[in-house]
Amino acid sequence: MKKELVELRVNDRSHEVAIEPSKLLLDALRQDLQLTGSKRGCDDSSCGACTVLVDGIPMLSCTLVAASCEGQEITTVEGVSEHGSLAAIQKAYGDWGAAQCGYCTPGFMMTVKALLAANPDPTAEEIRGALSGNLCRCTGYSQMYEAIKDAIEAERKASTEYQVASTEKR
Amino acid sequence: MSDFSIIGKRTAMVDAAGKTTGAGKYTDDLTLPGMLIGKILHSPFPHARIKRIDSSRARALEGVVAIVTGKDAPNPYGILPVGHDEHALALDKVRYVGDNVACVAAISEAIAENALELIDVEYEVLPAYFDPEESMKAETDLIHENKLHNIEKDYHHVFGDPEKAFGEADYVAEGRFIANEVTHAAMEPHSTLAAFEIDSHTGKPGRLTVWSSTQVPYYLQHKLSLVLDMPMAQIRVIKPLVGGGFGGKSEVIPLEIIAAIAARAAKAPVKITYTREEVFWAHRGRPRSIIDLKTAVKKDGAITAVKARVVQDGGAYCSYGVVTILYSGALLGALYDIPNIQYDGYRVLTNKPACGAMRGHGTVNVRFAFESQLDEIAARLNLDPAEIRRRNLLKPPCVTINGLRVQSYGLPECIQQVVERSRWKQRKGQLGKASGLGIACSHYVSGAANSIIRSDMPHSTVNIKIDRDGGVVVYTGASEIGQGSDTMTAQIAAETLGCSLGRVKVVAADTDLTPIDIGSYSSRVTFMAGNATLRAAEQVKKQIASAAARKMNCAPEDVVFREDKVFRKGDTQGQSPTPLEPTQAAVSVSGRVEGQILRGSLQQKRKEEGQKYFLTFEEAVVAAIDFHGALTGTGSYAPPPEARGGKHKGAGVGPSPAYSYSAQVAEVSVDEDTGEVTVHKVWAAHDCGRALNPVSVEGQIIGSVWMGMGQALEEEMVWKDGMLMNPGLLEYRSPSSTESPEVEPIIVESVDPEGPFGAKECSEGSLAATIPAIANAIYDAVGIRLHESPFTPERVLAALRARKGAKPINLTEGVDPTAPRRFREHGGALWFRGKGPERHPLDPARREAADAGGDD
Amino acid sequence: MSLPEFRLLRPSTVEEAVRYLSQHAGNIRVLAGGTDLIPSMRQRLFEPEYVLDIRHIGELKGIRQGAEVEIGALTSLTVIEHSEFLRRHYPVLAEAASTVASPLLRNMGTIGGNICLVTWRKGCGFCIKKDGDLCHVAPGGSKCWAVFSGDTPPALLCLDAHIEIASSAGLRRIPLREFYTGIGDSYRRLEANELVTRIFLPAASADYRGIYRKLRIRGSIDYPLAGVAVVLKRSNGHVKDARLAITAVNPAPMLIKAAPQMLEGKAVDTNLAEAVGDLAAKTAKPLTTSALTPEYRREMIRVFTKRAVLAAANN
Repeated sequence: MKKELVELRVNDRSHEVAIEPSKLLLDALRQDLQLTGSKRGCDDSSCGACTVLVDGIPMLSCTLVAASCEGQEITTVEGVSEHGSLAAIQKAYGDWGAAQCGYCTPGFMMTVKALLAANPDPTAEEIRGALSGNLCRCTGYSQMYEAIKDAIEAERKASTEYQVASTEKR
Repeated sequence: MSDFSIIGKRTAMVDAAGKTTGAGKYTDDLTLPGMLIGKILHSPFPHARIKRIDSSRARALEGVVAIVTGKDAPNPYGILPVGHDEHALALDKVRYVGDNVACVAAISEAIAENALELIDVEYEVLPAYFDPEESMKAETDLIHENKLHNIEKDYHHVFGDPEKAFGEADYVAEGRFIANEVTHAAMEPHSTLAAFEIDSHTGKPGRLTVWSSTQVPYYLQHKLSLVLDMPMAQIRVIKPLVGGGFGGKSEVIPLEIIAAIAARAAKAPVKITYTREEVFWAHRGRPRSIIDLKTAVKKDGAITAVKARVVQDGGAYCSYGVVTILYSGALLGALYDIPNIQYDGYRVLTNKPACGAMRGHGTVNVRFAFESQLDEIAARLNLDPAEIRRRNLLKPPCVTINGLRVQSYGLPECIQQVVERSRWKQRKGQLGKASGLGIACSHYVSGAANSIIRSDMPHSTVNIKIDRDGGVVVYTGASEIGQGSDTMTAQIAAETLGCSLGRVKVVAADTDLTPIDIGSYSSRVTFMAGNATLRAAEQVKKQIASAAARKMNCAPEDVVFREDKVFRKGDTQGQSPTPLEPTQAAVSVSGRVEGQILRGSLQQKRKEEGQKYFLTFEEAVVAAIDFHGALTGTGSYAPPPEARGGKHKGAGVGPSPAYSYSAQVAEVSVDEDTGEVTVHKVWAAHDCGRALNPVSVEGQIIGSVWMGMGQALEEEMVWKDGMLMNPGLLEYRSPSSTESPEVEPIIVESVDPEGPFGAKECSEGSLAATIPAIANAIYDAVGIRLHESPFTPERVLAALRARKGAKPINLTEGVDPTAPRRFREHGGALWFRGKGPERHPLDPARREAADAGGDD
Repeated sequence: MSLPEFRLLRPSTVEEAVRYLSQHAGNIRVLAGGTDLIPSMRQRLFEPEYVLDIRHIGELKGIRQGAEVEIGALTSLTVIEHSEFLRRHYPVLAEAASTVASPLLRNMGTIGGNICLVTWRKGCGFCIKKDGDLCHVAPGGSKCWAVFSGDTPPALLCLDAHIEIASSAGLRRIPLREFYTGIGDSYRRLEANELVTRIFLPAASADYRGIYRKLRIRGSIDYPLAGVAVVLKRSNGHVKDARLAITAVNPAPMLIKAAPQMLEGKAVDTNLAEAVGDLAAKTAKPLTTSALTPEYRREMIRVFTKRAVLAAANN
């Protein structure tokens, strides 16, 4: 099948890629944009390792046709770091050993990012539920809960400090 | 409180950021210019002779570069020297649905997939064997011609006088336990990239580089050399990040060799990444085990003898099978004091994917049987299940009846910890309707005392280089697979050298750069590679100490390394009574040009900062390089002869320099109408000798318990006529967060005399206790004994109904994988496109259809 | 595993979509959430020449309240799960939606897709449905018995939902209960040129107590191995009206027709709930899968029905 030119908007940047209409978003990200952070862990849309945000909503990039995402805003794990530094959730996952082999981690980063964007103060039950579409084989998920709590705390502290700083400025 | 500065501190993994940002590279993330994609054609039949392979149509497809078959690399291999029964691509026979027949290398995945359809293979279908107990009776159509009755290996061990002990016992428990087959299901599917370089002198393809998702790069190098007929020195294996192994990458997997064969034929780099379905076919997981277990006890609960007969459904190839069946017997010892043991183990071949090593290799299923039976005995003798375990403790240091040396032994404290934390005494039997607590124990080796390939070579070697920049580079062959190997290495080096962790860089698992290490399996890395790191660091430290001692005017033994500084013993920063002689500190020992500039600036810096009572790490390093000319150290580890076990046949498997210990209490509730079991919490105490990095140890304990929970309740490979019915993560049910229980990890430190800083195993031993702890908790909750794992709702409900004498419906018939007449609808897609292969002539479905007057 | 080649058509209106459908009828598949189609296509269950990408047809998204409730077929299961309106007035649908697969798949999956769910996901080798001549679940038979595994249809059946189907000939509207045939390989009455566009919930079905119970091994991700939906309205402690439907145990989701008569006018107690459970279990004809035996799954229809009826009557 002839390739077609598709414009994908990924991590706030537009990319023109020549791809087959049948190309999966995951493959377009990994092969055409060299964004290999999103992983392929299964072939039956069950594991969540390929999770990306599409217009802010976590979805499986292995179950999306790339050309169908034209016009949508895609965020991958490569777009999570802030100003070249680890985002709070990335730091916390490291500190708590919530990433062991790390293969599922990019998917979890996206799921947690979306969760906290929609619900900055989730209950333990809400966190457990939100993570339930991503499989991890190393951690038993426990240390992830600690990491997420920590990240929420860190974000809260940072935003308080920011508010204090901006109040003082005034 | 320990006086360590890095050991024992909660430390983030040194490679964590690469994992959380997506920057870290796994094998499938790598590409090379001109790289081709390889796809493998698999057998649709469980047992068949290959009559003919015609790949001409596939070859003609535009974009196909090479097609290879068994003839392109006919040398056999296998992970064990006694088990060289595999070919990367089948030579004459296929032995399971999914066996490897041919490989296409093409310019894209889609073209390679299309080409597979165009390969014509003519098979002569042979009768196949799916049930081990049936397979053992086979006389003809053997899976491997040299394995009579399809028995890969059987062992018959008698230690002490079990017959006499059974005769004199007050009570004998006896039962059959079945643990169904489970698999690793690591999140990363296997992937290999192979590339040849053209040799500058010969002008022909020369060196081969292989990037692979492996736990054992050096074994891979060895097997590649064997199959490809190349000297090992011409092969470089590099292990990028590995997305979990659990044993599934602890031997050479067909794609690793096929990629190299294809790259050789295609004259271009070839990458093969398994689909998830192919991962299930490659398998090497924990075999279905049928365990007939008999235990003799005295009235007080003292175990006097154990007799076990174990039949393992090993699949079509040897893999680690001989080791698995030996571990199953050997690890009856070294947990409790058992004076008499009889063991009969059978590793049986069947026409299914090969089983191999999986987390808790060999011990898990037998431990489920043993700990369940011990619970039955306790109930029978009216003893507290925790107490009966206490009454059978070993008295170390000792050597068990089957030749295992036990030194550090934290089991008593593990039991005490979980009993206290779970409030066992207050809560056992008090939890109310259909809720209960269960206890079980387990143990595991800290590496095998005898390597697979018997030799006197060290099992681990580590090199350290420190240069004038003060950077410490550790070269280790140990394979980081997510368990924290690189972090452990950095921690030990930093602690020993008294430097900060940030100063240490670990270069690992690259056969060109790093000295040999036999791999990440049998929980050997911390103990063995850790000891080698410790020794290498000690060697470097000695060199620095002798140079620093000259500078500080003291004896080398009196030099203390800590927090990036070098002190004289007794001196600490800020309160030193004896200032260093400035002249001494400034004296240049040699005139090495390359050290001058840096040294000059360091001297300047020190001058500016005024007089100090210590050397900075950089200063000490520069002094040492000045003095010695170069700063390198090497350390290696080989288990001591005393730890290597007895002399009987098969004695090589089981011995370890140290054993970890675990005790667990599980709290469950059972829905008596549905049979659904919920695990609410598991208290898991694990004796890891010393926790070098508590966050990592806790992660390993939780992960082990969680994986044990999966095997206990949800995971099972379901077969029908040799076809896997659930070859995907949708239907092979690795637990999700929803039903994963809280696990409270409790670290017990027995400080092993031979472990690095006293450390032992922590990544596998906990798994085995979880399954029986849950089984025993179910008994406590609803009074049923489950003898077959996983404890799916239908098995639980069937047992509940049997207990109540309710109307007998056989709720488990359809899930018995050996019931050949049952059919299952989901799963098992042999995703060969187009018209599917004919059903196996012996397929009962076909016969039944014919009997019923069907039209086929 | 790549997708087979196809041409992607991206209509922005229903009109455009159905035009494509009739143009390429028989050689085209509809891509909505993709959670069903894409894995099936990766398995080569379908290799159509065209894929109709309706993801961006705005008019088919969202929940509109009026004389009846109108749900666009492209409304995601997550939106349905979290809709305050549905949770209050049609709780059985919100609950059923919340149990589908996993949060990620609910973000993608649509209500229309869940209704049209392909009953066959992966075949054990080759079966009647795909390139074969053998039914694995009922050997010897020539009929396809593949089981229907959707979670929301039993809830929708209880709510007496209707669906709107569009084609180039115009719109037609049928009760959902007439949509399913009960035959595995031609399980829905949907012509090749038709598209399910809207779901309607009658006002009369509002404010029933509703319960959906799903049998699964894993707490998330799993498709149902058995499912029971019950809606019930009481007056003076007696059942005024009730409906019961089951899923994942037959080639179609099914209303248990005799259940309303059994319940109406009665005060629900354990005995009555048990009797309804027996009735539902009799209707269930579960077949083998890779997990949990048919015998057990039928038994769970009994238990879940009893529990659902009691819960709906007493909450």
